[in-house]
Amino acid sequence: MSKGIKIVSGAIVCEECKLRGDVTIGGGTIIHPSASIIAEAGPIIIGENCLIEEQTKIINKAPVGQIDNENVQELIIGSNNVFEVDCAIEAIKIGDNNVFESKSFVGNKVTITNGCIIGAGCRLTEEQTLKENTIIYGENCNMREGLDRPLPQTLQMDTLIRMLPNYHHLKKPNLVNNKKN
Amino acid sequence: MSNYITGPDVVKYACSCGLLKPITRLYFCRHCLELRCGFCVCHEVDSNYCGKCCENLPSAEARLKKNRCGDCYDCPSCKQNLSKRAATVGPKNPEDPKATPRKVYYLLCLNCRWSSRDVGIPDQAAATGSWPERENVHAARLQEIIEMYKGIVLAEKQQKMEKDKKKQRRFMTFTDRTGITASMLRKRIGLPDIPHPLLKPKPKEPEEAVAKEEVEEFPEELLTKPINLNEITTLEQRLNLPEWQPTTVDKLFPIHKQVSVKRSQRCRACEHNVSKPEYSPTSIKFKIQLFAFYHIPEVRIFTVEPLRAGKQCELLLKFSNPTQHQTVITFLPLFPSEDSFASKEIKELVPDEEVPSREIVIEEKQPPSLPGSQPSSLLHTSLSRTPSITVKPRPIKQAITANVELPTSNFVLLPRDDAAEFDDSGDTHNIQDDTKLVVWRKSNKAVIRLNITPLENLNIGDEVVVGFTMQHIYVNTITAVESKEPQRYNNNVKVFQYLGKIVGSE
Ligand SMILES: [Zn+2]
Ligand SMILES: [Zn+2]
Ligand SMILES: [Zn+2]
Ligand SMILES: [Zn+2]
Repeated sequence: MSKGIKIVSGAIVCEECKLRGDVTIGGGTIIHPSASIIAEAGPIIIGENCLIEEQTKIINKAPVGQIDNENVQELIIGSNNVFEVDCAIEAIKIGDNNVFESKSFVGNKVTITNGCIIGAGCRLTEEQTLKENTIIYGENCNMREGLDRPLPQTLQMDTLIRMLPNYHHLKKPNLVNNKKN
Repeated sequence: MSNYITGPDVVKYACSCGLLKPITRLYFCRHCLELRCGFCVCHEVDSNYCGKCCENLPSAEARLKKNRCGDCYDCPSCKQNLSKRAATVGPKNPEDPKATPRKVYYLLCLNCRWSSRDVGIPDQAAATGSWPERENVHAARLQEIIEMYKGIVLAEKQQKMEKDKKKQRRFMTFTDRTGITASMLRKRIGLPDIPHPLLKPKPKEPEEAVAKEEVEEFPEELLTKPINLNEITTLEQRLNLPEWQPTTVDKLFPIHKQVSVKRSQRCRACEHNVSKPEYSPTSIKFKIQLFAFYHIPEVRIFTVEPLRAGKQCELLLKFSNPTQHQTVITFLPLFPSEDSFASKEIKELVPDEEVPSREIVIEEKQPPSLPGSQPSSLLHTSLSRTPSITVKPRPIKQAITANVELPTSNFVLLPRDDAAEFDDSGDTHNIQDDTKLVVWRKSNKAVIRLNITPLENLNIGDEVVVGFTMQHIYVNTITAVESKEPQRYNNNVKVFQYLGKIVGSE
């Protein structure tokens, strides 16, 4: 394992996923095989209980022509986020309880707050900050405001925590969860 | 096949009505031996059904429910199906230690995540229970108007019936001779007149609608307050709920799902079905499916050389035979005579000289359902229905921008053999092909070479369209019962190829 990668105990990180650069993965987070997390322009910090499915690409990518070593930009991803199959995320910052549905794309000028849902196939490219509980859906990227945050995928996460270690090699956690609860 | 769904339609067939369509959009009436398309067949509603719960609705019930399913709902926000979701909530009285958590149900859209909780519809205790219905404020008024129109329809029907009755009378009656009606007679002998059972009092007309002139004051805040688009419904959302037309999203309520229909299509000339689905809503099969794709050889563009105005180039076309019978393809000019409305007579005059050499007896193309032939079998009687409408073909409006050098020889297409695809033993056919014409052949497919010349006066970027009449032998199996031998016909189909655009010289 390369040096910059920190996996907090309790996280399930499959060996076949691709982690590059300075990546921190919080406890309870599940990373499926063939997901890639690439900390190119700065570190990526992923919170707790996130679900990162196959073919997901999370990239910390500085805007074109703005790579400078002095001003390192961190990509902080909160807790309880779901990244569904084949989504591509290059956002500036992501809060908690968001869902990125399959094949969605979030560009590198977008800030996501909490409880947002980016619908399947939706592409967000323009500079913007999504308000809490915003839902983007449909081929025209219609926007509406949800009543509440999307429900966490607890059942699915529990199953995966049980099943994944039976069929996949896991990367060993190298950080102890210092939040004793 | 996938190309027919996603790709551009580069090969089109001329329907008997004059429209050009890809073969997948055409029907082939085996009784008239003509191509038919969706525009020139009769569409009939077979059954109403809900596409979500697959429940059949009798047409009377469907009308009563305004063609909507009683149990299924569409999302008022994005028109997708709403799904029922179960959730567990705490017991009704949390103080009671014995109370168990309850299960409640709400509606959720999996596309835009709209839920019935968004607009404050209370959760339901039963999964199949009906959701609260909203009453239209104008329901009473609408009902009144409907009643009135029903009355008018009834009165008109009655008038017509009276008229028909008068016309139909063929025999002299007592009344005719004496001029005394039954009711007059009753009056004369002092009996009370019985009112006509159908004669109801004139329908009551509802109060006239009055135009109101009070208009609300212009709300100043429309100009001063920033608009939150998330709170305002889109035009589409408003029109989905025509009875309420809500302007804000908190008034979006679930819409009863519109029912779909299963429809059969009928040839207008002979009244036989060209497509009839199975009745069950869960079935995607057909009872009758006379799709041209299963009867007419399919033409595909294999390759074409770069197209240059006035320069001859090579076009390779792939033909495949979808039927279980061998066929022979002959090329004929698009319009056999000056008259572009080539009628059947002209088609029949086309010489079959090359064909007999292959020892195939060709009968004249003649609809098998000619009236006058003796009704020998049940099948035959059903065939000899007289045509209801003679559909006059319209001229084909497609401009042809390239000339085809029509091959003088014809070629054979072997019958389709589904097992051939798995047969690696190589080509075992022994067909003497004109090697100038046939480039390649395998099982029921053949690639042929045509020389085409785009017109001189075309400019770079102009579309090149060629066409020819494909004559193929069609074996009609429906008449087999009667004459034991399936009958063979020369069937002519006009095929057009859209080859692309003229490119510049090298
Ligand atoms: Zn037609
Ligand atoms: Zn239904
Ligand atoms: Zn919806
Ligand atoms: Zn017909």
